[in-house]
Amino acid sequence: MKNAIVLIVLAAVLAGLVALPWVAPYFYIFLGTEVLILGLFAASFNLVFGYSGMLSFGHAAFYGIGAYATALILLHLEWPFLACLVVAMGAGALLALVIGFLSVRLDEVYFAMLTLAFGMMVFAVAHQWRSVTNGSDGIAGFMLGDFAPGVDWSLGDPAVYYHVVLGVVVVAAAVLYLICRSSFGLILRAIRQNPERVSFCGLDVRRYRLAAFTVAGAFAGLSGALMAPFLRVASPEMLHWSMSAEPVLMSILGGTGYFLGPFFGAAIFVLLESWITGFTDAWMLVLGVMLALMVMFFRRGVLGTLLDWVQGNHD
Amino acid sequence: MASTAIRRMAVAALAAAGIVGSMAAQAAEDPIKLGAVYIRSGSASSYGEFAEQGMKLAIEQINDNGGVLGRQLEYEIEDSQGNSGTAIQAMRKLVYQENVDALMGIDSSGVAQGVASTVPQLQKPLIITHAATPDVTGKMCNDYVYRISVNIIQNMRGAAEIAAESGAKRWTTIGPDYAFGRQSWDFFSEALKEKNPDAELMSETAFPRFGAEEFTPFINSIMDADPDGVLISLWGGDLVNFVRQASDMGFFDEDIEVMFTVGAATEVLDALGDKMPEGVWLGTRYWFDAYDNETNRDFVAAYKERYDKAPSYNAEGAYAAVYAYKAAMEKAGTTDGPKVAEALSGMSFDSPMGEITFRAGDHQTLVGPTWGKAGPMDDEFGIRSLTDVHVFDGKDVTPAVEETGCSL
Repeated sequence: MKNAIVLIVLAAVLAGLVALPWVAPYFYIFLGTEVLILGLFAASFNLVFGYSGMLSFGHAAFYGIGAYATALILLHLEWPFLACLVVAMGAGALLALVIGFLSVRLDEVYFAMLTLAFGMMVFAVAHQWRSVTNGSDGIAGFMLGDFAPGVDWSLGDPAVYYHVVLGVVVVAAAVLYLICRSSFGLILRAIRQNPERVSFCGLDVRRYRLAAFTVAGAFAGLSGALMAPFLRVASPEMLHWSMSAEPVLMSILGGTGYFLGPFFGAAIFVLLESWITGFTDAWMLVLGVMLALMVMFFRRGVLGTLLDWVQGNHD
Repeated sequence: MASTAIRRMAVAALAAAGIVGSMAAQAAEDPIKLGAVYIRSGSASSYGEFAEQGMKLAIEQINDNGGVLGRQLEYEIEDSQGNSGTAIQAMRKLVYQENVDALMGIDSSGVAQGVASTVPQLQKPLIITHAATPDVTGKMCNDYVYRISVNIIQNMRGAAEIAAESGAKRWTTIGPDYAFGRQSWDFFSEALKEKNPDAELMSETAFPRFGAEEFTPFINSIMDADPDGVLISLWGGDLVNFVRQASDMGFFDEDIEVMFTVGAATEVLDALGDKMPEGVWLGTRYWFDAYDNETNRDFVAAYKERYDKAPSYNAEGAYAAVYAYKAAMEKAGTTDGPKVAEALSGMSFDSPMGEITFRAGDHQTLVGPTWGKAGPMDDEFGIRSLTDVHVFDGKDVTPAVEETGCSL
């Protein structure tokens, strides 16, 4: 019964998202695209944070490398977009494997600091390697061609691009969800709750953490690959630590204990930003106050609090 | 039953027709909306503030005189945060959410390079009022992007003439580490080599990050390299911080010819007051005291009365852009994006810099920079005056269309 309701609600949301270009004002196509991409980015982060219990401050490195890979490929090689997505996922996974290999051995604040340091190293490379990355101006002026060889969907049309992003994000989210629900995902949750006990069971905690970190890197790379053509630029800001903070905020806002929490947080983040900046430039101040309230009173995030309320679970 | 339903539908249809009809009638009365994107946060936010003031002043003046095509003007402004991704999002919001009729603004060359290729999709013209990279009216030019202000090549050709006259031989640069700083040095080098083949362009250059705040190590390395002349293309809060730190280190006491490419921005002069050293060369895209025409006299007087300040080049660019849109919309007889964009091409109009023209071949106006030496304090505005003023004619410093790399 409960599952049926969840499925119906999900199907309704999905139908609403598919229909969005026809029912909402045109501008909401852009907001919708941004929500989906950042939602995937935050969900990939939550695999590391919410499921595995590791607070990474370098997640933008994988997102950014996906964006740069896509921008460079479109600019120099003019490959189909699907190929860019695959390469970006690979690049994100590879970078995550390297950074993860050096970081997952540490815990808590040391892990956070190490990922922050590696993230800023990647930022510095993009910022200073002018001949390849065009320095702080980033890579712009690339064109979107076919989606796959011979499949020309005119991706330059924002409504088409929105639907492509929706399709990619739904598939990616489904895969990510299956990973979270698998025995692998269960072990990650066990590690978050009690790493000692898991290792006493004979499992290599470090290896599981590294695997989670790498998978998260791949999906972050994918989200970056979707973002670069949307923004029409891959810039060092996408690699900056403040970009790494965004999925942290979104996950906490939405609820780290739920698979869809980060998507929910991304939606709140993007929609509120758009509305609030309409009448004040002090959007960050409003966000800060909201986050403080969330952490103090609603630890389960907006989605968690909402679900508790719906289920009449006022504990 | 059936007849009631039909009657209800007929009433509903009539009501709907009435609403649509009144909407159409209202559309003619609706104000024309201009959308602006400027830097409104961070170390260069005063540029966005001055631009908004110039824009507001022009809109008020036009509205007091009957508006454009019988409609009033309105504006919406968004923060670019000096970041091209944010600027593109802001432009989409202005066009699709706020339904603006035309776009203007853009402060940074890096941002301009990022946004230029996305404008045709929006189907609204963009008049760039500040960003100076030649690329957007060069290899990246398109039907919808125009620039009203002096670009880097125009400014650097003027600068090279001053540098050649100064007699200084060994030149280096300090500039922000992005398109603007790099291209300023490239085009200065090219122009100076032409004017003075003996000049030496040093390899020891300094490109601090935009917004760096701490310039001491860069000032040190430049002083160690012992140049005769230094071209400084820092701007915004960077320039204010640089001048303060360089003064403390005795940089201005050395026997060095110092040229600030955009140092006579009144935002900066305002912030520095008499801390801007006398005797350094200051460039600007527009100097309020350098144009003796009625439009300029009126503009400066109105600006002073309204804001008690001297208008900066950014204020002037925004002010002139509003008048350019007025002229273009009247020429086109509509506010339709593609038609207004087309009307701008080759159009001449009155600006504080005199009558200026958007060249049809690349959409750059034929304007030139003003250079002068920082002189005694101007008591009226509390900023440095300019002495030994050189106003360059746009025709002398603008490359031919064939040289720009633009084909329209």
